[in-house]
Amino acid sequence: MKKFWALFFFFWPTVAIIVCAIAPSRGWWFPGAPMSRTGIQIDGLFYLILIIVTITFVGTQYVLGYALWRGATKDPREKAFFSHGSHKLEIIWTIVPSFILVFISLSQLDVLAEIRVISKFPEKSTKVAEVKARQFEWRIRYPKPGTELTTEENPGDLYFVNELHVPTGKPVIVNLRTQDVQHAFFSPQLRVKQDAVPGLVIPIWFDVLEVGTYDLVCAELCGWGHYKMKARIVAQSQSSVDKYLTQLTADQNADGTKSEAAKSGE
Amino acid sequence: MSLTPSLKLLTLAGLLSLVTAISGCTDSAFESSFVYSQGTLSLMREARDGTKENLGVKRLLDDRFGNPQHLKAWAEMPIDFGGALTTVVEIKELPRGRKVIKLTVEEGQTLPAKAANLKFVTGGFAGAGLHVEEWNSETGEATVTASESLTISASDICAVDGGTVLTAGRMLYMRHCSHCHGTSGDGNGPTARYMTPKPRDYRNGVFKFKSTNDMSKVSRNDLSRIVKYGIPGTYMPSFLLLKDEDHHAIIEYVRFLALRGEYERKLVAELSSDFSENAYKSRINASEKKEDIQKELVEFLAVDLKESAKTLGADLAEIWAAADTEEAAIVPSVARIPDTPESRRRGRELFLSKTLNCADCHGIDGAGNGPQTIAFEKNPLKADELYNEPGLHDDWDNLNQPRNLQLGMYRGGRRPIDLFSRIYGGIKGSRMPSFKTTPHEDIWHIVNYVLSIPFETDPGATGIAPSVAPESLVPPAAVTVPAAN
Repeated sequence: MKKFWALFFFFWPTVAIIVCAIAPSRGWWFPGAPMSRTGIQIDGLFYLILIIVTITFVGTQYVLGYALWRGATKDPREKAFFSHGSHKLEIIWTIVPSFILVFISLSQLDVLAEIRVISKFPEKSTKVAEVKARQFEWRIRYPKPGTELTTEENPGDLYFVNELHVPTGKPVIVNLRTQDVQHAFFSPQLRVKQDAVPGLVIPIWFDVLEVGTYDLVCAELCGWGHYKMKARIVAQSQSSVDKYLTQLTADQNADGTKSEAAKSGE
Repeated sequence: MSLTPSLKLLTLAGLLSLVTAISGCTDSAFESSFVYSQGTLSLMREARDGTKENLGVKRLLDDRFGNPQHLKAWAEMPIDFGGALTTVVEIKELPRGRKVIKLTVEEGQTLPAKAANLKFVTGGFAGAGLHVEEWNSETGEATVTASESLTISASDICAVDGGTVLTAGRMLYMRHCSHCHGTSGDGNGPTARYMTPKPRDYRNGVFKFKSTNDMSKVSRNDLSRIVKYGIPGTYMPSFLLLKDEDHHAIIEYVRFLALRGEYERKLVAELSSDFSENAYKSRINASEKKEDIQKELVEFLAVDLKESAKTLGADLAEIWAAADTEEAAIVPSVARIPDTPESRRRGRELFLSKTLNCADCHGIDGAGNGPQTIAFEKNPLKADELYNEPGLHDDWDNLNQPRNLQLGMYRGGRRPIDLFSRIYGGIKGSRMPSFKTTPHEDIWHIVNYVLSIPFETDPGATGIAPSVAPESLVPPAAVTVPAAN
């Protein structure tokens, strides 16, 4: 029975090693590969931390298992040895983790700055749309084609809901705001997450690497309909986005006469 | 070993989950029912529940629409219940009690690619269903196993997978809609109490944002736009991400609820003036005899209401079906007038003019603060009584102030045609009237002006002062403030 517990504590770190080793290839950690450049960096940081905590966890568990095993196999008549602690050891296990923590916090600063600090945003990024969260949907406003997106609404702006079209392969900025309570713009595949705070216009940038449709969900419990606050991000080539916006312009200017219907039916 | 107690726990948990799984399979876990309207409940008992020989309002309604667990498809209604109505052509016997039933479908309809059951509408097997073992959608041949007592004959009518759309719609409705709009579509679900404006009560058969003429019902296309794009400025969110077939199913179910509610209202209207509890009391007070009233009611139920139950259904079917026709759609006779400063100016003139009088409600700057918003309205339901709070009310008796046009938030859509439809057809159920006699050019001028309001640097910056004297815009004189409750 004594040996059982020692083996028990050897068993779990072994499982942890196996799981950590096969998880990346099986895609257990993430909803698919990162679909933005910052996403790749974020995944890199994640794996860095994963390696550190795995080594720490496995190391401490094996030490624990070893101590138990030694106790289990000892002659029961042998007198127990009592130690009042070791200054040297305590200094080591204080300094080593603090170095690890400082290392982690320094190594992620660049990525954090790139994502969050406006002056570090890519120079050639385009403001594509304003996303206004509200209970329980995402209202999208594109600037009138050929004009700049501003905080204020302008005549000719294009409106849609729950579907954001962005071009791939270039950094884009989305102005995030909320009409009511706090929400969070979260696209799992793009690894983008940002809270929307009442009264603030928060720019977020990302570059989508591949054409496709990605989820946009709310990640801040915002009310009873939080679970249904879901939209999609449609990433496509710039020409497809332009085409989409042209179509949206036509739809939004529809005046219901036959000629118009024929035009938009093309 | 030490694992035994935890194993017991595991088994217990396993059993429990099994039990819940089994009970979850039956419909009883989701038991729900349609409620009857206040109008129905205010009728005399015999009118509500019927007598031995005659059906009352409740039964008339339940026979035609069923309840959420057992929905009924009243084939006359212009609702896509799902599946196809077919006629039996011939029956071929196969060994071991199996039969091949050949079916034809009415022209214009098509047989579904897959089929799971047949439900008989007429014939000796009416009301019963059969499981389809094999299905050939091209020849319309269904292979079934049936006992000797099966009395199907040629020219029996049966539905192939009947009601699939409606039941799918009900499941989606219960998941996405009912917590606001209520199981019966009465706009009184559990979350409704936290909302202003209130969720729509479908039972009037009235929908606000539609692209059909003022006297027409809402079209499927209009409902589809509402479901897909939501209503900004209200709690109605967008359900864009649902599949097209889900949109379709939800809309058919909403139409089903609306038709049920409207049918109930019409039946009640037949009875309420003479046979409501209140009418009964006042008739007794007018020294009519109890027996006479009851005799009259029985006669009314047996003859008049029986007849009305048919004609009212036919009338409803006709007007709802008409909403989806081309004749019902609002089509401007001229294309939109180009959005120029002149056009906007003309629009503002019309907006302020005495004939159209938009400013009376929407305010001279379109801020939704016209004099009517602070006047006390007469309550149309209670003679000679005013509402307790100032402002305009809708048909559902809720305060419903005119839109603030400066916000640039358009509940019924922001396309020029949407605004044109709001003006031309009015907004049903609200105090926004129809301006269908106004020339279409003028409506376009107003649309151009209204769309420019959110971007005006100063209110009325199109450069003209109100053309009406300010006095005409003060609240109506006969306003008395009722005592607070």
